[in-house]
Amino acid sequence: MRMRVSGIAAATVATLMACVGPAMAQDSFKIGGVLPLSGAFGIVGENMRRGAVIALEERDNKVLGKPIQVIWEDSETSTQVAVQKTTRLLSQGVHTIFGEVSSGSTLAMMKLTEQRKVPHIVTLSADDRITGADKTRYAFRTSNSVAMENAMIGEFARRQKIAKVYGIVADYQVGRDMWTALKADLATKNIAIAGEDFTPIGTKDYSILLDKASKSGADGLMLLVVGGDVVTSLKQGADVGIKDKMKVFGTMLMDETLGQAVGPGSIGINSTLRYHFTERSPRNQKFVAAYRAKYNEYPSQYAGEAYDGLSWWLDTVETTGGWDKEKWVDAFANSTRFDSVEGVKKMRRCDNQASQIGLFGTAVAGTGELPPVTMKITETFGAETLFKPCS
Amino acid sequence: MSTLIIGLSISMLLFLLAAGLTLIFGMLGVINFAHGALYMLGAYLAFQAHATFGSFWPALIVSPLCLAAAGLAIERLTLRPLYPRTHEFQLLATFGLILVIEEVVRVVWGLDYRHLTPPPGLTGSVALFGSDIARYRLFVIGFGAAVIAALFFGIERTKLGLVLRAASVNPTMAATLGIDVNLVRSLVFALGAGLAGIGGTIAGPLLPIQLSMGFTIILDCFIVVVIGGLGNIKGAVFGALLIGMTRAFGQLYAPEWIDIATYVVLLAVLLVRPQGLFAAKERLA
Repeated sequence: MRMRVSGIAAATVATLMACVGPAMAQDSFKIGGVLPLSGAFGIVGENMRRGAVIALEERDNKVLGKPIQVIWEDSETSTQVAVQKTTRLLSQGVHTIFGEVSSGSTLAMMKLTEQRKVPHIVTLSADDRITGADKTRYAFRTSNSVAMENAMIGEFARRQKIAKVYGIVADYQVGRDMWTALKADLATKNIAIAGEDFTPIGTKDYSILLDKASKSGADGLMLLVVGGDVVTSLKQGADVGIKDKMKVFGTMLMDETLGQAVGPGSIGINSTLRYHFTERSPRNQKFVAAYRAKYNEYPSQYAGEAYDGLSWWLDTVETTGGWDKEKWVDAFANSTRFDSVEGVKKMRRCDNQASQIGLFGTAVAGTGELPPVTMKITETFGAETLFKPCS
Repeated sequence: MSTLIIGLSISMLLFLLAAGLTLIFGMLGVINFAHGALYMLGAYLAFQAHATFGSFWPALIVSPLCLAAAGLAIERLTLRPLYPRTHEFQLLATFGLILVIEEVVRVVWGLDYRHLTPPPGLTGSVALFGSDIARYRLFVIGFGAAVIAALFFGIERTKLGLVLRAASVNPTMAATLGIDVNLVRSLVFALGAGLAGIGGTIAGPLLPIQLSMGFTIILDCFIVVVIGGLGNIKGAVFGALLIGMTRAFGQLYAPEWIDIATYVVLLAVLLVRPQGLFAAKERLA
């Protein structure tokens, strides 16, 4: 009899713990931010952190009535370090992981966040596997995917009536996958491939490759390079007037940050954009004003996407009114952000990828208070042209 | 032929970057891991000088001079106490210098990319052998050749060069002959650091100026120096030409194999002549 009473008591306590446990002992909402704050992507990570800070300050650093505590960790532009830091953060009981920049790091971190069932917000990494083959219940991408970027590039090439494209592609998995998919898309648009070169990341001289491209008969040059290689290739391309010989375009190939590094040679370069500070939405105007007041500069696309993703996530957590991570995840998977910085964003339940518009811009000389090189939005692609319906 | 010219420009840039490294090793016996960081600092100083004076040419003077002054201080404060010790101490000290220099640059200039433009007369390109070659590249070739000539002349044909060589081959004997060996060492390190400043300035208009630029270049410098023979200027010239041409023709025919081709050249040299192609034993301190 005594054992039976003890059993009932234990079961009651267990049930009560299950019900109220998530709400107990929560003195703060902990976010683990894993970003490259040094190394080749240091500038990107720092910009993301700045955008995230605005998202937190906008809500007085509180969610669910508790203060938000962000633990920033520097991944040092290394997947290995990103995994180590994420493991440490998860062991500290963070409620959300935010990051990374590199798709490889994000994919590795996703395995950890899935194991620990911790929500993971991705606002930059574009690899299709993040919301495709390797997708998890807990990882959400609020920014562009490779497929989305490819769709924009293909459409841009068609609208510009480009007949032949030469590809200079960073020799890594995402680069090769992206180029393969893009070639297939260009073929459906009757755009020929004049030639292709795969070059190691960190290549310090692009002049031979640019010379080959300019002699290939192509009227379009797809530069699919990353990090400092974007600056190297465009600087060296500007010296030989490559953009006067062919239309130069690519994914994340140009923005105000890169324009500052490349200089006047940036003018006329065409690129996909994840976000742009000139977007007219009320939320964006508010964000840009707050960002400028704090940092005295316009937000980059990395900052804009970080702000948008994190503020959307925290607003969703707030709506659940409780501390159950599973409920947060369910709510986010079904959420629509009607007033994101880029208009409406809708989270697709089938793959945890945010459906959204796509931006394409051309670098122009900035006037007035604008940066010396400023992106002018030349094309806005609707979500319906960029995303295939969930199957 | 245009590939040859571009290859020559790559080679000269590599030489400018590796010259200081090999000079410091040849004369002092110090493997300066911080050479890449000094080169990065040189690029940032060049950017700052360009922003201040509004021209590339003052940057080409100011940056190497500042680096030479920094080199003097570094040698006096960190390396001189370590000469009697084994190489490991010097490696650790120069590695520590990397961290210090990177942190200084991060605090002063932040993480943003910086931009350096070539001087007005060296922008744009000229048509040569069916290709457009950037005028700045032709300048790099000429400037690199001038630095090679100056180094050879200075070390091989002047009294100062004789003193430098004497102090590096046998410092004790040199000291008994009245040569201030400590001063010579300081000057050599300052010259090596100044060359890093020249490398950073010359590379500025071609490459992104960013915090990690030194890390990515130091490997290339070591490849050039190892191929040529540690501490040998003639070897550094040959190593730079070999790697520069390998890269240029590699990009023409098989760009995805370019890194492998570079390491194959390095391995082949190490197998055939482990001490480097132009190693001069008597130069090693």
